[in-house]
Amino acid sequence: MRIISILKKSLKEQLRNFWIVLLSLSMGPFFIFVYYLINESSTPQYKVIVVNNDAGINANGQTQNKGRELFSFFKQTNTLSENLSFTLSEMTDREAAVAKLKNKDADALVVIPSGFSAALSYDSIVGAPKLEFVGDLTSANYLLSAVWANEVVNEYARGITHTKRIIEVAETPLGSSGTINQFDMLVPGILIVSLIMLLFTASIAFVSEVENKTIMRLKLSKITILDFLGGVGAVQFLLGIAGMLLTLLTAVLLGFEYQGSLVAMLVIASLCCLSLIAFSLIVAAVTKSANEVLVVGNFPMFLFMFFTGAAFPIKSDAWFYIAGYPVNLQALLSPTHAISALNKIFIMDLPFGHVFPELIAIAVLTLLYFAIGAYLFHKRHLKS
Amino acid sequence: MITINRLTKLYGDFKAVDQLSFEITKNEIFGLLGPNGAGKTTFISMLCGLLPANEGRIQFDGFSSTDTKSLIGYCPQENIFYPKLSCMEQLMFMGEMYNIPSAQAKERAAALLNKLGLTEKANVQAAKLSGGMKRRLNICLALIHNPEILILDEPEAGLDPQSRILVREFIKSIGHEKTVILCTHNMDEADRLADRIAIIDKGKLLQLDTPQNLKKSIGEGDRIEIRVEPTTDKQLDDFVAVLSGIFVNVKRGTDCILMNHVDFSTQLVLIKEQAKAFGIKINELKLRENTLEDVFIHLTGKELRS
Repeated sequence: MRIISILKKSLKEQLRNFWIVLLSLSMGPFFIFVYYLINESSTPQYKVIVVNNDAGINANGQTQNKGRELFSFFKQTNTLSENLSFTLSEMTDREAAVAKLKNKDADALVVIPSGFSAALSYDSIVGAPKLEFVGDLTSANYLLSAVWANEVVNEYARGITHTKRIIEVAETPLGSSGTINQFDMLVPGILIVSLIMLLFTASIAFVSEVENKTIMRLKLSKITILDFLGGVGAVQFLLGIAGMLLTLLTAVLLGFEYQGSLVAMLVIASLCCLSLIAFSLIVAAVTKSANEVLVVGNFPMFLFMFFTGAAFPIKSDAWFYIAGYPVNLQALLSPTHAISALNKIFIMDLPFGHVFPELIAIAVLTLLYFAIGAYLFHKRHLKS
Repeated sequence: MITINRLTKLYGDFKAVDQLSFEITKNEIFGLLGPNGAGKTTFISMLCGLLPANEGRIQFDGFSSTDTKSLIGYCPQENIFYPKLSCMEQLMFMGEMYNIPSAQAKERAAALLNKLGLTEKANVQAAKLSGGMKRRLNICLALIHNPEILILDEPEAGLDPQSRILVREFIKSIGHEKTVILCTHNMDEADRLADRIAIIDKGKLLQLDTPQNLKKSIGEGDRIEIRVEPTTDKQLDDFVAVLSGIFVNVKRGTDCILMNHVDFSTQLVLIKEQAKAFGIKINELKLRENTLEDVFIHLTGKELRS
């Protein structure tokens, strides 16, 4: 089978051009790692200092310090959600704590008064104890910290006074915001980025026959255009899937938990991979050398990365709808649909049937790219 | 036999090949001689089926197949190979592209590499070969499917003397097993190898014959080349006019005169006397046999390597 011979030959050449393969395979994991670091560094940490001046009381021969209890309660409830984290620290000197606030080493200071325990005792004749919140009122970090501290204090007060909430508040997370973080939301797009990098390896694989002029030898032989495209394309397909699985593995190792079926993901990725190989044929048709590919190929790569939602989510209005499916400029780019489909499977955990419109769109675009690419490649490089 | 009949190729108004008609006999080494731009490569491209003709036809008779892909092996002037594949790998790959089973392709590849002195380089990537080795690999690639017709475009171009001898001997060795079309502007190469030579220029066939007959066609005997010191046109014209009465095929350049005579030794004194009479000083006087270059100059009025 000639196609197998071409596949073997193309694979050998690809592996011997290992820098390009490395670039293609590493880009997805690299982006995953970069986004992970960005996400980690941008996750807010709120630092709250507690100065406990409570002197405590003696009750039934035992010393009680409600201030210490409150501090422990603060520590127990130091998160409002998975994405908001409060760090508690205790200091003894108010002025030193204020100095930390001024240096932005902390966001809020809670000062528990000396008579805190006494004021909360049953036989107290003094009024409600007065906690002091100190912070920069123009800082969002202080406001969030203060709201949280206030909520914790109220909860503590309800606990020790055995009172019930008279109004319960139920929180409904929008979309998957309650269970996944920003990093998880970006992973489907970056999986497609790893496929987009195929534009370079596939275009170079096609155009190298032109650059080395070996296309003439192939034209003289009994090879058909389908043998050539099939053999070269198969290697690129394997490379694309390998790159994407490597990217997914990196994401999983960094904490990404995917929903849905891995098989469904592979079906979507495979189709997207074919569409990008078909598009590479267009790039190969308008170039004559690997160097030209590395320049010209950047234009479609930027389009695919930044206008499809691969590098970051984007929104745009639909021009019109086909059976309820939105069509706009981005819809002409196959990764748009692949990302949409992966989001449905990975993030929304929808059944496979829900991605049929996307799969049809990718299939149509693949045929379109292939027809244009094959026509241009034949016209430019195969016709004498 | 390959019959070329009124073959014409046009690029816009330019006729790259103009009504070319001749026959190439099976199992002969056929030289195609012409300067750059004569239409040799265009003709070969049409012969290989890479380029369609505007007019005329090419007919293959007496070969085992009429499928040009099986029939023809083409070794282009430029070395064309896969730089990242070893010699053996690419020979096997190209063999498989002609539907040759892997085992057979490997056997043929090994035999070809051996014949062209590349056995030791069988597993070396083509990009790492020397220029001469690349050229020899190029010839192996043209032969891997065992074609009945081998087209060699400037096979000795860029070869070192040792490789040139090796390639020349190889071409001679296959000359009677295959039809070899040797496309060159190296007259020495064509003279030594070709059974018959077609001289083409501006897409047209100028002459076709054996090297010996071509050389005879411009006059029997010795070829005399006289180089003179710069002088007036009139003096030189008068001198040439006198020589034309004694010698044949007399041609003059700005400071050079070419002519033929069956027995030059008897005319040497006469040349010196006439030169003295016309006030012409002879700088150099060469005596040699006719070459194909002389034939080409005679036919086209220009040097072959121009």
